[in-house]
Amino acid sequence: MDGVELEILWSNLIGIVSERAKALQRIAFSPIVREAGDLACALFDQRGRMVAQANTGTPGHINSLAFAGDYLVRQFAGKCVPGDVLITNDPWLSAGHFFDITVLTPIFNGDRLLAYIGSTIHHTDIGGYGIGAGARDVHEEGLWIPPLKLYEAGKPSEVLFSIITRNVRTPDAVLGDLSAQVSSGEAAAEHLIALCQRYGLPDIEGLSDEIVQRSETATRDAIRKLKPGTYHGESSFDVPGGEVITLKTAVTVDAETGTIVVDFAGSSMQTTTGINVVKNYTHAYTTFAIRSCLNPDLPNNTGSLAPIELRAPEGSIVNCKYPAPVNARHVVGMYVPMPILKALYQVMPDRVLAEGSGAVWTIQVQGKRADGEAFTSSMFNYSGGMGARAEKPGPSATCYPTGVAAVPIEILEAAMPIVFDRKELRRGSGGAGRTRGGDGQTIQFRLRTEEPWLLNAVPSRLNAGPDGLGGGQDGQHGRFLVNGEPVSTARKLSMAPGDVVVLETPGGGGFGAPA
Amino acid sequence: MTYSLAVDIGGTFTDIVLRNSDGRLTVDKTLTTHNDLLEGFFRGVDAVLARTGVDAAAVDGVVVHATTVVTNALIERKGLPTAMVITEGFRDVLAIRNEHRYDMYDPQIEFPEPLVPEDLTFGLSERTLADGTVAIEPDEGEIAALADRIKASGARAVAICFLNSFVNGANEALVARELARHLPDTFICTSSDVAPQIREYPRASTTTVNAYTMPISQPYLRRLSDRLKTEGFSNTPLIMLSSGGVVGADTAGRNPVRMIESGPAAGALAACHYAEVLGIDRLMSFDMGGTTAKACLIENREPHVTGLFEVDRRYRFREGSGLPVTVPSIDLIEIGAGGGSIAHVDSLGLLKVGPESAGSDPGPACYGRGGRNATVTDADLVLGLIDAGNFLGGDMQLDTAATNAAMSRLAVELKITPVQAARGIFRVVTEAMAAAARTHATDRGVDYRGLPLFAFGGAGPLHACAVAELLQSTSVIVPPRSSVLSAFGTLVTPVRLDLVRSDVAKLASIDWARVDRLLDGLAGEGRAALQEAGCAPADVDLVFGADLRYVGQQHEVTIAFPADPRMARDTAAIAALFEAAYRNLYGVNPSHVPIEIVTWRVTARGPVVPFHSAAQPAGAAGSPKTHRRVDAWADDQQVPVYDRTGLAVGQAVPGPAIIEERETTTAIPPGWTATIDTFGCIVAKKD
Repeated sequence: MDGVELEILWSNLIGIVSERAKALQRIAFSPIVREAGDLACALFDQRGRMVAQANTGTPGHINSLAFAGDYLVRQFAGKCVPGDVLITNDPWLSAGHFFDITVLTPIFNGDRLLAYIGSTIHHTDIGGYGIGAGARDVHEEGLWIPPLKLYEAGKPSEVLFSIITRNVRTPDAVLGDLSAQVSSGEAAAEHLIALCQRYGLPDIEGLSDEIVQRSETATRDAIRKLKPGTYHGESSFDVPGGEVITLKTAVTVDAETGTIVVDFAGSSMQTTTGINVVKNYTHAYTTFAIRSCLNPDLPNNTGSLAPIELRAPEGSIVNCKYPAPVNARHVVGMYVPMPILKALYQVMPDRVLAEGSGAVWTIQVQGKRADGEAFTSSMFNYSGGMGARAEKPGPSATCYPTGVAAVPIEILEAAMPIVFDRKELRRGSGGAGRTRGGDGQTIQFRLRTEEPWLLNAVPSRLNAGPDGLGGGQDGQHGRFLVNGEPVSTARKLSMAPGDVVVLETPGGGGFGAPA
Repeated sequence: MTYSLAVDIGGTFTDIVLRNSDGRLTVDKTLTTHNDLLEGFFRGVDAVLARTGVDAAAVDGVVVHATTVVTNALIERKGLPTAMVITEGFRDVLAIRNEHRYDMYDPQIEFPEPLVPEDLTFGLSERTLADGTVAIEPDEGEIAALADRIKASGARAVAICFLNSFVNGANEALVARELARHLPDTFICTSSDVAPQIREYPRASTTTVNAYTMPISQPYLRRLSDRLKTEGFSNTPLIMLSSGGVVGADTAGRNPVRMIESGPAAGALAACHYAEVLGIDRLMSFDMGGTTAKACLIENREPHVTGLFEVDRRYRFREGSGLPVTVPSIDLIEIGAGGGSIAHVDSLGLLKVGPESAGSDPGPACYGRGGRNATVTDADLVLGLIDAGNFLGGDMQLDTAATNAAMSRLAVELKITPVQAARGIFRVVTEAMAAAARTHATDRGVDYRGLPLFAFGGAGPLHACAVAELLQSTSVIVPPRSSVLSAFGTLVTPVRLDLVRSDVAKLASIDWARVDRLLDGLAGEGRAALQEAGCAPADVDLVFGADLRYVGQQHEVTIAFPADPRMARDTAAIAALFEAAYRNLYGVNPSHVPIEIVTWRVTARGPVVPFHSAAQPAGAAGSPKTHRRVDAWADDQQVPVYDRTGLAVGQAVPGPAIIEERETTTAIPPGWTATIDTFGCIVAKKD
């Protein structure tokens, strides 16, 4: 296949999944999907290899879909008929917590299996504990949907639909988003069949061989250009409640085979709160960290991911065992790239960034309005500073590795009796360096209410700020204050009417010794 | 005899159209004079008037103007120092943005530099709550001290942006008044005037863009008005807005942020005009030029409008790297593909086209100005789709040798022949444009399949049929005078102003007295602006709309009311309109979720401009002026080449064929047939 033909077919495959991702993002009820594109959409060949993927919002979904798709294809090999739709939200098989439901649709051209189209999106609710890290095991966290057929030969599974409907708090939204995933699969199928007809392809197996092989070769070639060796990185951070988590990585560059092995041996063991991470999710953030430094312009697929190997000790916080609670796995998952970047600094210093604030701080408020009506806010979030880059400062008030948007103050004030007194940069909170870390921010708010209210805040890095890199100074740690007093707890707080909340998010680490 | 005049100043050319009330048009193109845009304006106008023997005083119809002056000021960042006054405690609203990282995978990402630097941002003690109550009134002493600091800072313009001012702008108005008293020579604007919509960051961004460009646009428009008067024109100028609105120079001068991209907006309006004339409800306009292609969805003969767009995308032209602007604007799909887009082979051995462009200097290799890279235009030349001796009517001889050399280098890299490489470029760029159009349409919930393409711009008619095939469309329309189509578009557009104001309220408990006040305010503003533009009060037509959403959602859906919603006050009917629009976009409606109104919209519109496209009589069918070798569709094919001016109404031209005119060339592939309709359009249909 020449460079013209392959470019046209490949870009068409990416076009199909990108278009579907846009449609899903537009349709989704879940605010985090709409605002931050917290979804993934990908095309798989008959052998379960991910051939094309949409470039969407959060790294945690994107690469874990590659595993979920592969698993489902193998599990249901030879058992699919036209009109079937597969589903699972198994945390260990897909994206690490029940909220993320993966739907995979086999695409048939007539009776012949052509390929599979899959999507994972974050749903609004999945029953159980709800938002937060407080469940004692995974079963308390909600509804577990094992790999099953959601549709059989075009017929919806009544059993499965009634179980889902009865086990979530927002059945309209969940069923709405599920139907969007299903119809998205139908639309993708139509486009793929049309593409194959237009270019006279019997299937996409030959095309996917080209794509996967070229991507793998290019990635291995990029790795071969690096200095071989084993490089170490370590990151520690405190999570709500004060527990300190340590992630250790040994990143081995094997220039002969063009492989990078990332080993998390020595990292913290899994814990009792729901911040444990399944291996898929760790893998997703690991490949994200490496690929965004190594060759970010190369599309994601089975080939470009293959040269990156993950080893994580079973039972560690980055490869937790059943029945560990996993609901708030992003709290730890978002730190996965940081020790890897520190290791990569020793190989490609100009492409990495220093440690940043890590997970976004999330807040939820419950209380009563002036007229006595009770309200529960949706989750809203604020970022600290990003780590500095070799030639550029770290962006302030911007999170990494995720990229969720903050809800505007005016939207929050219109939705509930909250009043913000302040939302400004915490000047000087980013670490000094040849380039500075991004600043965190100071946010102060209170409630206009005569009644007690509840505050559910998930801050992190309250005890130690992000490390500087290459002689850069550390960013400042965060502070969480109620009426001027520091608070550290994983629980919801009972608040009095006049209480004032101050959040000071951490600054990012600096890069290089300050002049 | 009534004459009207339109002038569209674009990046490269300034286009002039003089219209006689009998439908005859005289057009001219002159190079844009970047040092003083008005120099080119009047050079072109004088030339057209001289050519037609029309005196300036005889131009008793409108003089409409679209200009890049505001866009240039923003991209070049050559404006005067601009300050921002904001609620104390929120000084970093521009730096913090919405905290979003628009590209996950690029650790080197950059964000837009705010127009107002930190040292020109001033906090002021004041506060309005979400319900509009003023919790803290600004202190006069503090304002006076602030005025001194602004004066000392050297700022020449001030943007005032207070929290919740979209609900109650009293504090902003008070501070604006006081500052104006202290700083009489400073340009001042408030966010509640410029963009009274909820969400503090985009509102502040929009207001600073406006303040920053006021010191440029106001003197520019004043000079324009003065010079038109001196030259003897009887009317003051009308200004084209990015929403497709047309207003007087004073209104435009106060709202320069609404003038961004007014030229491309006018192009979309020309497409709407032809939709009306040809009786087509839905189409997609497709304007391909030297560096970018722009497309716009037209439904019910109206262009899609968006409430949010970006200017000055800094970082690798990425979506998200620009300054957000929340004023109504025609929703253009910008595609980084044009005649100058450069082809290269990437590390995987794939042929890529763009987004890098050779621009006009050095331009494509065939321009012979030292460009060594093969571009889309070079591919068109190799394929025989354009003629080296007939570019710009033969005024510019193309360098075939340079093109062949560039194409051969690319072909060697791809291990294919130069003709195959050229076909590859043509196909890849066509696929890229189709993909961008598909994604954009899908993002807006529009089924793009089968939409006729309305093609214009230097490269549009050449690529349109190929793009159409990929969008499963079977018809392409190439209007006459397509090279000055934006200027033409301003002449077929009624005076119009689109206004918006946020006021969040649950639909079920809406306070109609409050809605009354809000809509009366917007209607009054619209009437005043149209009156300034010469529209009699009785001729002003008001159209009402609103943005609604389900409570808890982050994005709104815009609906248009069939009549003034205050007449019926029927919230059930409003809910039904919203639910239908929502279902159309998203496929499903959640039940039991309450609905809220976020923003109200009022469009004030003058009477429709009567315009008769001079229908042309059928004449003798033109025959090909020559045949030439075209390799686009088959090897060594001899294809007939027609002169567009020689084609008669009703004449059918079967593909493959090439139809040439001075500024553009239309390609009719095999399997398509072009006919000339009574309005002079080339209408190509797939057989």
